[in-house]
Amino acid sequence: MRLLLVEDEIDIQAFLRTSLEEAGYQVEAASDGKTAEQLAIDGQFDILIVDLGLPDQDGISLILKLRQMGVRAPVLILSARRSVDDRVRGLEQGGDDYLTKPFALAELLARLRNLLKRNSPPGAEATRLRVLDLELDLLRREAIRSGQLLQLTPQEFVLLEYLCRNAGRVVTRSMILDQVWGMRIQPDTNVVDVHIYRLRGKVDGKGQQPLIRTLRGVGYVLKDR
Amino acid sequence: MSSKTDRPTIRSAAWRISLWATLAFACGTMLVFVGLHRFVADDIQRRSDAWLSGEVEVLGDVAERTPKDALYGRVVGEVAELAGKEVPNRLLSEGSANDSVFFLQTGADGSLKLWVGAGSGIPNLKAIQASRIVPDHPSDLKVQGFGVPFRVASLHADDGSYIYLGLSERDELRVLRSLRLRFILLWLVLVFLGFCIVFFTTRRMLSHVRRIADAASTIGHSDLSARVPTSNRNDEVGHLALTLNRMLDRIENSIHQLHTITDSLAHDLRSPLTAIRGKLEMSLSATFEGEQAEPIVSAIDELDRLTDFLNKSLDVAEAKADALRLNRGEIDLDELLRIMINLYEPSMSERELTVKLRSSGPARISADAALVHRMIANLFDNELKHLPTACTVIVSLQMNRDSATLILDDDGPGFDSDVVPDLFERRVKGKGSKGHGLGLAFIDAVVRAHGGTVKACNRSEGGARITVQLPAAAEQLAGPFAAVKR
Repeated sequence: MRLLLVEDEIDIQAFLRTSLEEAGYQVEAASDGKTAEQLAIDGQFDILIVDLGLPDQDGISLILKLRQMGVRAPVLILSARRSVDDRVRGLEQGGDDYLTKPFALAELLARLRNLLKRNSPPGAEATRLRVLDLELDLLRREAIRSGQLLQLTPQEFVLLEYLCRNAGRVVTRSMILDQVWGMRIQPDTNVVDVHIYRLRGKVDGKGQQPLIRTLRGVGYVLKDR
Repeated sequence: MSSKTDRPTIRSAAWRISLWATLAFACGTMLVFVGLHRFVADDIQRRSDAWLSGEVEVLGDVAERTPKDALYGRVVGEVAELAGKEVPNRLLSEGSANDSVFFLQTGADGSLKLWVGAGSGIPNLKAIQASRIVPDHPSDLKVQGFGVPFRVASLHADDGSYIYLGLSERDELRVLRSLRLRFILLWLVLVFLGFCIVFFTTRRMLSHVRRIADAASTIGHSDLSARVPTSNRNDEVGHLALTLNRMLDRIENSIHQLHTITDSLAHDLRSPLTAIRGKLEMSLSATFEGEQAEPIVSAIDELDRLTDFLNKSLDVAEAKADALRLNRGEIDLDELLRIMINLYEPSMSERELTVKLRSSGPARISADAALVHRMIANLFDNELKHLPTACTVIVSLQMNRDSATLILDDDGPGFDSDVVPDLFERRVKGKGSKGHGLGLAFIDAVVRAHGGTVKACNRSEGGARITVQLPAAAEQLAGPFAAVKR
């Protein structure tokens, strides 16, 4: 996967480059709009990360210009602004996504994956999810672990489904809040942790290998091996 | 003329102004008419007096010259009757001519000597004797049997007899009456016309003022770039519009400056925060599970709290200046509360708190979804952080025609009585509170930005109550300047 990172802050560019490369992306970085245009013409990119505040031009203008130049790759917009601009909203509706700074790396990676998935030809939607000995029947809304039916509430099922779809990858609290409850909020209390704790009590029975792991300071991960 | 913000016409300023103006106009024209009436009445009287004096003199002359024989009565009578036919102000087509005029001559002893006129003349004589009539000065005489008084002129003849000529004021009064009738009709028409003219002109002018007011009230809440309509006329109203627009220019400038400051502050703080967070995360992934992870984890937590604090305090600062930018959409508070309760319920029952929802069904309002989500999460966080175990939180939601009311009741210890008055101020918090004191200030900020109200009090039966009221629709959304922009 070739990724073009347009970010003028050297510090942010450096750590993003490292972690994106760790995640398997081939990263080209640009610190301003001019360089980004140049790179975009020369190379075929699968996805772009564009910061809104560039020294020589506005990130949105850059994206629009790249679109005119024929760049079709989806864009993840990074914004340090407080309010989400109407134009960002427009791009979001056009299939791009945005993330406000500061962000968790896990969330950045998840959004990149989503963008890539959204832009790839749709495959047949699975009706069953399987992670190790945990099996989810998405039609009947049932979860079975080691042959045993789990007694989950509808909400817990949605949460477990989200974890399973991201099995092996870290999900943060705000990603869970966004995807499961549909809210971009930041509670000062441990509401998500309690949900995970309850879910874990039902999924990871006695004597079983614990599936749901807490990565302190980062989020949660459902083990897939 | 738009009358969208319909107050009844009766209470409009145009109505009151035209009422008072019409009253003044009516009084003025009435005074003019009364004066005119007086003038006309005096004139008519003067004319009839002149006629009476002239005629009575002629009659006196005739009476003196005519020999006192058998023909005397006839000659004088004929002359008197002839005179009666030339009565001034007389209406033609009057059949019985001479009940309006009488001629009366008395001897020196006061006995009736000659009578020309309707009736026997006795009552007239009695009336004349009863009133003192000075010769050469016509005066009014009320005669029994006649509804209308007579104007009587008298003459003292040289032979000692008195000659009286009376003219009924009937015709004069009739002329005056018809004059009055016309005056009143004319007056009514004038007053009505005057009222209409004043009403419609003031309404026209005031409708411009109202349009300005309508526009100004929407501008404050939604779109500062809009301006009130100006007119080309160089009058007070045009001036008002220009002044308002200049004021709006200044306000827009300061708000714009505020936004620039908060935005650049946010931007300048967020970029380093992002870099720090990224570095922390990377070092965390390098030391997974190790003992060193603990300080990094808590540093990330602190950083997230700092970010949240930054966002909230900037929002609160903007809201205090009525400059919080809203991105409105339709949200259902009922649905939102159910999701929130679903989210918070496990944490609450973990602390043995019970939460109940009492809702009267869907409550759709126009609001900024992201802000309202954060606001309600704050309300729940607040309960979760401050309630001791085994308490109950009752969330009630009620939808009226134009607003939604959300009430959070709990049976905990309530607010510290000394912080209740300024609970929604920044950094005000209870003694044991661990928060940064922004939660309630943020709630207040969001609610105010939506044009709603928030109140907090201690319930009489113990516990705290927070009441949030949010208008269903953005204020004045139907107005001409309803552009809602972020």
